[in-house]
Amino acid sequence: MIGRKALAVYRKELRQIARDRRTLLILVFVPAFFLLLYGYALNWDIRHIALAVEDRDGTGDSRALVAAFVNSGYFDRVADVQSPADIDRLLNLNTARAALVIPENFGRDLVNGLRPQVQVIINGDNANTATTVMGYAASIVQSAGAALFEGQLREPPVSIEPRIWYNPELRSTLFLVPGLIAYILMITAVISTAISIVREKESGTIEQVRMAPIDTFSFMVGKSIPYFLISLTSAALIVFAAMLLFGLPMRGNWISLLVAVSLFIAGALGQGLLISTAAETQQVAFQAAMLSSFLPTLMLSGFIFPISSMPTALQLVTYVVPARYFLVALRGIVLKGVPIAVLTPQLAALTVYALAMLALASVRLARERG
Amino acid sequence: MRRLRRLVWKEFLELRQDPRLFVLVIIAPIIQLTMLGYAATTDVRDVPVVVADGDRSPASRELIARFDASRNFTVVDTVTSLNDVDAYLQRGTAWVALAIPTGYGAAIHSETPVSLQVVADGTDSNSTTVALGYATSLVNDYAQELVSRRAAATGVRVPGIDLRLRIWFNPQLESRYFMIPGVLALLLLLVTANLAAMGIVREKELGTLEQLNVTPLRRWELIVGKLLPYGVIALIDVLLVTAVAVFWFEVPLRGSFWLLFALSLVYVLCTLGLGLFISTISDTQQQAMMTATFFFLTPMIYLSGFIFPIENMPRVIQYATYLIPLRYFLVIVRGIFLKGLGLAWLWPQAAAMTAWGVIVLGLAVARSRKRTG
Amino acid sequence: MSVAIDVSHLTRRFGSFAAVDDVSFDVKAGEIFGFLGSNGAGKSTTIRMLCGLLKPTSGTATVGGVDVTSDPEGVKRRIGYMSQRFSLYELLTVDQNIRFFGGIYGLDDAALARRRAFVIEMAGLQGRERTLARDLAGGWRQRLALGCAILHEPAILFLDEPTGGVDPLSRRQFWRLIDELSHSGVTVLVTTHYLDEAERCHRVALIDAGRLAAIGTTAEVKRIFADRPILEVRAANPVEAMRQLDALPEVESTSLFGTAVHAVLRTPSSTPAGIRVALEHAGIAVQSITPVAPSLEDVFLDVIDRARARGGSAA
Repeated sequence: MIGRKALAVYRKELRQIARDRRTLLILVFVPAFFLLLYGYALNWDIRHIALAVEDRDGTGDSRALVAAFVNSGYFDRVADVQSPADIDRLLNLNTARAALVIPENFGRDLVNGLRPQVQVIINGDNANTATTVMGYAASIVQSAGAALFEGQLREPPVSIEPRIWYNPELRSTLFLVPGLIAYILMITAVISTAISIVREKESGTIEQVRMAPIDTFSFMVGKSIPYFLISLTSAALIVFAAMLLFGLPMRGNWISLLVAVSLFIAGALGQGLLISTAAETQQVAFQAAMLSSFLPTLMLSGFIFPISSMPTALQLVTYVVPARYFLVALRGIVLKGVPIAVLTPQLAALTVYALAMLALASVRLARERG
Repeated sequence: MRRLRRLVWKEFLELRQDPRLFVLVIIAPIIQLTMLGYAATTDVRDVPVVVADGDRSPASRELIARFDASRNFTVVDTVTSLNDVDAYLQRGTAWVALAIPTGYGAAIHSETPVSLQVVADGTDSNSTTVALGYATSLVNDYAQELVSRRAAATGVRVPGIDLRLRIWFNPQLESRYFMIPGVLALLLLLVTANLAAMGIVREKELGTLEQLNVTPLRRWELIVGKLLPYGVIALIDVLLVTAVAVFWFEVPLRGSFWLLFALSLVYVLCTLGLGLFISTISDTQQQAMMTATFFFLTPMIYLSGFIFPIENMPRVIQYATYLIPLRYFLVIVRGIFLKGLGLAWLWPQAAAMTAWGVIVLGLAVARSRKRTG
Repeated sequence: MSVAIDVSHLTRRFGSFAAVDDVSFDVKAGEIFGFLGSNGAGKSTTIRMLCGLLKPTSGTATVGGVDVTSDPEGVKRRIGYMSQRFSLYELLTVDQNIRFFGGIYGLDDAALARRRAFVIEMAGLQGRERTLARDLAGGWRQRLALGCAILHEPAILFLDEPTGGVDPLSRRQFWRLIDELSHSGVTVLVTTHYLDEAERCHRVALIDAGRLAAIGTTAEVKRIFADRPILEVRAANPVEAMRQLDALPEVESTSLFGTAVHAVLRTPSSTPAGIRVALEHAGIAVQSITPVAPSLEDVFLDVIDRARARGGSAA
């Protein structure tokens, strides 16, 4: 059975890993460290939008409008300009993200019931930010208009009262952290196993592997277990760090989380092993690992870019990105407290992926061994 | 020179021997670029909405139709009560639930202000904000229409402020225009730094580096010889990626292509220098890989402003990002593509990048002595 | 005869550990000079210093008249080097490897063609020019590596454990090549821990724990046994025989040589017959006792023992 021979392989692999202290430390601790860094640094909450102001009117009303922007808490007034050329320069250099242009006679027109036209110029290079800035600007102008006519304007006939579930303050951190966890786990697991077999190919010790009277399956199990344990430890560290420092809630149950994480890691390890059996040099293995794990997980898993907004063809591709399923499961368990039954499709997909990868890797490895 | 030529020839021979590597570094970037170009959209379209219509009147149906007709929303289902929307939000079948209260139609008719509840799945806070923004705009417009209708009917003028929004550089708000030039920078970094680092460390591991150190090959010849092939590959990638960006994705290239190419050269110098530096602090390819990925590449990608705006980061980290060459190159690339900026505007970034490259390359060269001391 | 390599008080420390400790010797032009010692004794470190790959902590050395400390690059032009790992480019063919190294050493086309032909013939690689280096068997790679090291016709050749992991037949062929090179005037400094190979050197130096323990021709070096004959004892139970021999007062030291035991006698006066009687008294069935000429291995073991006993050098 698996038993003793796999154990021997497992021990050797573990010893090899342990000897390369730097790599071991990186695999275990660095993920948590970087989670902290990124979780702290990265968010989409748009605040401190740099605003340039061109006030051609200079009346109390125009100043009130500018104040409305600043007091909203979203905009920071960074410059007062006199001409379009100045606005040009500020937007070109990204010193300002938006510019407010108030025409002359603003105050007078307002009082007379003529609708003065105010311009807000937005730096469109980052479309994402621009959309949000647009939204803010629109609602500020509208409510400022209402405020300037205290009592004169009636409430709009229809308005919206938003309620946010699961993440009331809309902290993008809570959204990003599960994604970061998925990303970090994927990379670590795939890369560490991707070079494990290739390294032996390059240094010639693969000969011993071929000669050894051990069946392929045991060999693979033995090789994978150390990495599985390391990844699991890393995952635990990351999750706890996220909970402690970012207030990531845990609204679901721990067993489901363990199951989801284990399945995901198993798939990633299988993928790495597959790469390892197919590559001849470590350079190739590494590039393949990056190509197949790094970018798809970043771009196609729903981590940052919503899948439903992608063209259909690409959406089909995302079905083979394991991180996609893992993210749904992870967010579901951690943020929404979803019971495991609801996540069966995702867990099934992860299981299928893991089995497929391990099977393919076995087949290739068996062929290698002749 | 002859020795150098010989070394470069050998490097290409070795690369050619492993055609897989070749494929990976030339073809793969193109594939990745294409994928990313399509995937990297933060535009939110067809947000799935579930409506809890407690009124079921012509007025509520008109509102629902509005939502469905908008390209930003798709109504996936209509239920009767707000309690029924739970399952949709939990499964993610709908991101937003709209609750129309009983008596809505009557309120509209009698000109009583009415407020609608919109429940949003906050786990995707980015999309939620955007979706809420759309919903607000949609309802606002609708409200304006109602008001105008009444004004037209009764002849009363409605005071207020008109807002004119202008978007510069990217009027259609194609997030692609923002992402794709960035992808160029990203791919160059991934390909050159990694390959260069691993390529050199491989010789260290196999022992052939020592053999080279014993020959009259000069140190600078060795470095140039090892890095040149990867530099050439990188420049080919620049051409390919730019071509795909401009001709396939139709990202406008408003500035000078030659400036882009020249500054790409400087950037590649930085990434190669980084690769060389990593090779001097690693003994095995595995170490080189890990060090490169975790300590240099991933941080650079996340903190350089590629996806996440630097101005959103805490001050301390913002200062740290000045040390990342990718940061400058992103500004350059986006500046040239979208804003048509020239060297007159971009010289600070170009200078910073050059300085970075020179320093790191210098450090790396100093560390890679032919003789251990 | 002129001196090709001159080493004087050469020392290399790593922290407080002295890998090479105050070593001095010289090598005459055209000599085959063997550098012997167990693993970790300091052989490779010494060679690397002499090749300009490692900077000495103190002491001086000149190779081909060039000082290694002040002009390592000058040294490299004059020498050839072949390391334990036969550093060839696996992914290149035989021909490409030759062209590469030839180019690096600055051979022009005519010289390269001439030397290429020479090396192919010397290594017996005719017909294999387009084989990838990694597909060559051990012996061929070894000879190719040697060939690549001498393309530029260096006057001095450094070989660091060049026969590691190669079959005995190939080893012998390799040494024949080295002999030929030496005949043509090339100075060869070779490290090895195969003591049978060392017998083929003109002179040898024994290194133990970073220090020079003995130096001279093989005959000179063996002279330490001038007054101490060595007996080879064959018995049914060698280990037991060894124990009994150690107990005898005439025996200075013993060691196992395959299935036989070598016993070093303190004085020439003891006879084999006397020893035999003593052993049989102790119940050992002796098959044969014969005096043997000392081998380098005997010398080596003896030198190390003496050094240990004397100075308590690191084990």
